[in-house]
Amino acid sequence: MMNLQKITLATVIVYGCLMGSWACGRGVSDPRVAQLAGEVRDKGWIVYTARGDNGTWDLFLMRPDGSQRRNITNTSNYEEGGPRFSPDNKKLLYRRFVKDTVIDHDKWGFQGNLMIADSDGSNPVQIGGDREYPWASWSPDGEQVACLTLKGIQVIDLKTKQIVRTLPRQGIYQQLCWSPDGQWFCGVANTRIMWTVVRMNAQTGKLNIVHEFQSCTPDWFPDSKHIIFPCRPSGQKGYGFTQLYMGDGEGKETRLIFGEDGYHIYGGALSPDGKYVLFTRCAQDGGGSEKSGAPICVMRMKDAPAAAGQSVALRKAHPEATDAPVLQLIDGWEPCWTYANIGAQ
Amino acid sequence: MSQKKICFTLITILCFILLNGTSCAKKTDTGEDPKVTTLGSIEVTAELLEIPGEIRNDPLYDYAHVMKYRVLTIHRGALEEETLYVGQYNPAKSRSAAADARVVEIGGNLTQFRVGDIHRMALEVPIDDYYMGGIINKYFGQVDDPIYWAVWTNRVIK
Repeated sequence: MMNLQKITLATVIVYGCLMGSWACGRGVSDPRVAQLAGEVRDKGWIVYTARGDNGTWDLFLMRPDGSQRRNITNTSNYEEGGPRFSPDNKKLLYRRFVKDTVIDHDKWGFQGNLMIADSDGSNPVQIGGDREYPWASWSPDGEQVACLTLKGIQVIDLKTKQIVRTLPRQGIYQQLCWSPDGQWFCGVANTRIMWTVVRMNAQTGKLNIVHEFQSCTPDWFPDSKHIIFPCRPSGQKGYGFTQLYMGDGEGKETRLIFGEDGYHIYGGALSPDGKYVLFTRCAQDGGGSEKSGAPICVMRMKDAPAAAGQSVALRKAHPEATDAPVLQLIDGWEPCWTYANIGAQ
Repeated sequence: MSQKKICFTLITILCFILLNGTSCAKKTDTGEDPKVTTLGSIEVTAELLEIPGEIRNDPLYDYAHVMKYRVLTIHRGALEEETLYVGQYNPAKSRSAAADARVVEIGGNLTQFRVGDIHRMALEVPIDDYYMGGIINKYFGQVDDPIYWAVWTNRVIK
């Protein structure tokens, strides 16, 4: 019995030491990470999806250093996900799903109802019925949304619910996103091959390839000229890992932002000034929406390209990658950042 | 055992095999059912000529895989092509289990795609008007023919 107790105690001590060193490795006690946390602490709010105390997916606000976290939907009868601040930061667009819905990382934009609430989650209003307004994305003035439907990309006036115009979707099949300047759409399309990130002129419908091969979930930089997207490049051993990239809208140049062998990096989004990047770091491919998400991380864009951990293969492919400080926050998915002071209530 | 008994046993076994074979040969199926005859705007019986590339069985991702068919009979709809390029959604799954949140109304009794098999299919065209998702199309750039979308796929036994 004594032996068993000793073994248990020893195991706990070893585990504690290992976890401690892992935490240091992740930067909890790294002064560079502490500095980053202090730097972003008062820079607005992050809205994200995470499991609430009741077990369902809810929307949360937190400071970019992970502090002042609070549940802003707290609905035990629904699941919520995919929040996006309106361009004026006064509203929040998201989807609400029937309780116990498995939120599919690729199909969530087709699932459930479109909801619009005040940016602190108050006054939620359901827009349309089940599965309507798929992949809704804000217009620059917040008066319209662009939706991706079988019939094309529909621009819909939010007051009248009328379709203002429709563009052929030209093979775009998920994750539509309207640029902040209103000139472009980006999305995932079938072109020469599937899983291609494309850009479409929002007026003419002209389409160009941004990045081919196993690329998805694109989002815009604040300048409307660059696109952030995860990609699982070829040439990796076995299944490989998804890394975070940026490309110019014309598709001429692609650069690594962050990667880590052993983890799939999704949920790429920029701070409003483009100085910081958000992403999630998930051991399983897909980003974790089917389970409980993955740690949300913050990094400075000026530190990109960066790699974490040993990442022998990744560092070999990207020798310019630095060992940047990465602030790891709570588990969630699809984070979105505003500098507006909306979460002070 | 006498020679007579051995002969009797052998003849009995032979008869059983022949009868069984005859019974199997008679078990035909045109693939007709209320779904395949009403869904889609086109209905054909066609032979599966080619499955280019490997059918992916990835529970994380969904695809339509474009396959090459030879039309044997046109049951409904206008069709000029003898060769059809048909997108089958998540072909690693049996047709009865293929529908999901992205693709709601597809099905059939086919359990496995094998080159040389004959299928009775309800189809729509072009695929982009009926399906929004990843497409594995190894014929891209090789043929300009429209890609059909398989709404319902039943097995045909001749």
